[in-house]
Amino acid sequence: MATVTFEQATRIYPRTERPAVDGLDLRIDDGEFLVLVGPSGCGKSTSLRMLAGLEEVDTGAIRIGDRDVTDSPPKDRDIAMVFQSYALYPHMTVEQNMGFALRLAGIGKAEIARRVAEAAAILDLSDYLQRRPRALSGGQRQRVAMGRAIVRSPQVFLMDEPLSNLDAKLRVQTRTQIAQLQRRLGTTTVYVTHDQVEAMTMGDRVAVLKDGLLQQCDTPGALYDRPANAFVAGFIGSPAMNLVTGPAVDGGVRLGSAVLPVPRDRLARASAGTGSVTVGFRPECLEAAAPGEGFPVVVDVVEQLGSDAFLYTRLPVGDTGEQLHSSDVVVRVEPRSAPPVGATVWLRGAAGGLHVFDPASQARVD
Amino acid sequence: MTITLPGTRTTDVRPVTARGGRPRRGRGTRSGKAGPVTYTLLTLTALVSIFPLYWTVVAGSHTNAELAATPPPFLPSASLFDNFAAALEQAPIGKAILNSVLVSGAITVGTVLFCTLAGFAFAKLQFRGRGVLLALVIGTMMVPTQLSVIPLFMMIADLQWVNQLQAVILPTLVSAFGVFFMRQYLISALPNELLEAGRVDGASTFRIFWSIVVPVARPAMAVLAMLTFLTAWNEFFWPLIALTTANPTVQVALAGLGSGYVPQQSVIMAGTLLGTLPVLVVFTILGKQIVGGIMQGAVKG
Repeated sequence: MATVTFEQATRIYPRTERPAVDGLDLRIDDGEFLVLVGPSGCGKSTSLRMLAGLEEVDTGAIRIGDRDVTDSPPKDRDIAMVFQSYALYPHMTVEQNMGFALRLAGIGKAEIARRVAEAAAILDLSDYLQRRPRALSGGQRQRVAMGRAIVRSPQVFLMDEPLSNLDAKLRVQTRTQIAQLQRRLGTTTVYVTHDQVEAMTMGDRVAVLKDGLLQQCDTPGALYDRPANAFVAGFIGSPAMNLVTGPAVDGGVRLGSAVLPVPRDRLARASAGTGSVTVGFRPECLEAAAPGEGFPVVVDVVEQLGSDAFLYTRLPVGDTGEQLHSSDVVVRVEPRSAPPVGATVWLRGAAGGLHVFDPASQARVD
Repeated sequence: MTITLPGTRTTDVRPVTARGGRPRRGRGTRSGKAGPVTYTLLTLTALVSIFPLYWTVVAGSHTNAELAATPPPFLPSASLFDNFAAALEQAPIGKAILNSVLVSGAITVGTVLFCTLAGFAFAKLQFRGRGVLLALVIGTMMVPTQLSVIPLFMMIADLQWVNQLQAVILPTLVSAFGVFFMRQYLISALPNELLEAGRVDGASTFRIFWSIVVPVARPAMAVLAMLTFLTAWNEFFWPLIALTTANPTVQVALAGLGSGYVPQQSVIMAGTLLGTLPVLVVFTILGKQIVGGIMQGAVKG
């Protein structure tokens, strides 16, 4: 059990200019489940590998508990890692795979057998201990990879997209199992994924990265309710938040022919540099309004999910012909009363659902 | 022959398949089983490959006159064993076989071990000068053997190793080809994540080599062992220089067989047969190690 601290940790790959991870500052509490999420190439895997000791730290430091592990080899860090490809030793049985690290650590045979049996029982692998990886299904291999980490009772678990090779249904199942297991073991865990749904459902806190820079690190609820910038706002949530940029006018932002009301002080601060404002609404924070009230959109696609329906709509370009950054608006509506494709619907923002961002800095304005 | 359009294919092909019991094409693409054409070709190839060995047996059991007759004999006879005896009498074949087993065995073990070690390093370890060193290793393949024979003999003479087995073993204990061969195999067959898993599990580099790399490399090591053993066994030029006929390898000993104004084919062939048998045994053992799918199940599904 230990905390993990990144202090201005930076990694620049040889022969590249831009850092893959740029001055990462992050503190992970003891027993916490932290998810690193971001689009591909954002540096999330590199950060994890730096913590594992598989990647050099060019500047800055990484601590596990009170120990500075910046320059320690992986074996001295007391970590266990679950790889995306599982990386099971193909010539060893499940039992040998799980016991390999313990055998290297010089632990007695009886103790190894006991700990492997214990982990196998937790992961429902007891019947497969004598099998080789090639005789296992994808889900079983994934559990062996988990088991290999668990038997070591390390201070920190590192997981690099461990669910990305499973089919959709198994992924959802395993997601909950991993989260439960982590709560039960209480081991500090750093989990990398590109899937924001995984991040939101599993993490105690979620750190969003982009281009090697940490954008925001907070609880899933806070990320959703108060995204620190337009990138986080658009990345977290499915379907994504509607982000529209338009010119600031008196009392709000002009969207097509209509004006969306924005509180005066936020409007002033957000539009100070560019004269325009980026506003965001979650699909569920838009509601139908009477014609003439709010702003009109034209329905392009209706997506029926049973419990919900999503309208994919676009803002008609106004008479003034102004360019809009993004003119697509997604709205959640009651599935039974979804309007037909091609219809014009008037929308307004629900109270408290408005997010305002400065188009120049992309930062949130409160 | 009717022209079969894609749309009508099934109706045209089905009856043929049903009547013949298997697809018409010899390679049996549909069932994955080999058809008669495949069997015929393979049988022919096998016969052509086996014939020289069989002819050695036939020729080893007949005199020069019998072999020169028309038609030549096609069946072995019991005098093969007399010719074995003659061959063993004319040259120290027993000792030569023992020497060759020692020499080829040592060279094979050494080459496979060192080439796998070096191949692993070149394939997966990061170190300064890796590219230059690899180029140097491969460059040595371009130096012809004949060029190095004289300096090599002078070195061996300085070490006073002439006519000793280590003179034949040491120069070929590692081969550039083997290093390159193992490197190429490991680059594709050994995923980096497997090595990283080993490092996270606490294994030293040598432990990773022993516990992870060697099991993965086993099929390639078996191939390299077979090639190396065969080359070492058949090596003639350098052993002839470094050793004497009193302490020869098989090939050197065979060169002294059946000598005289008219070479005795039968004795030469009988001796050759004796000298070939150990190679056949090694092939049978190593062939089993070349198994596909060793990496199956290591990564992904």
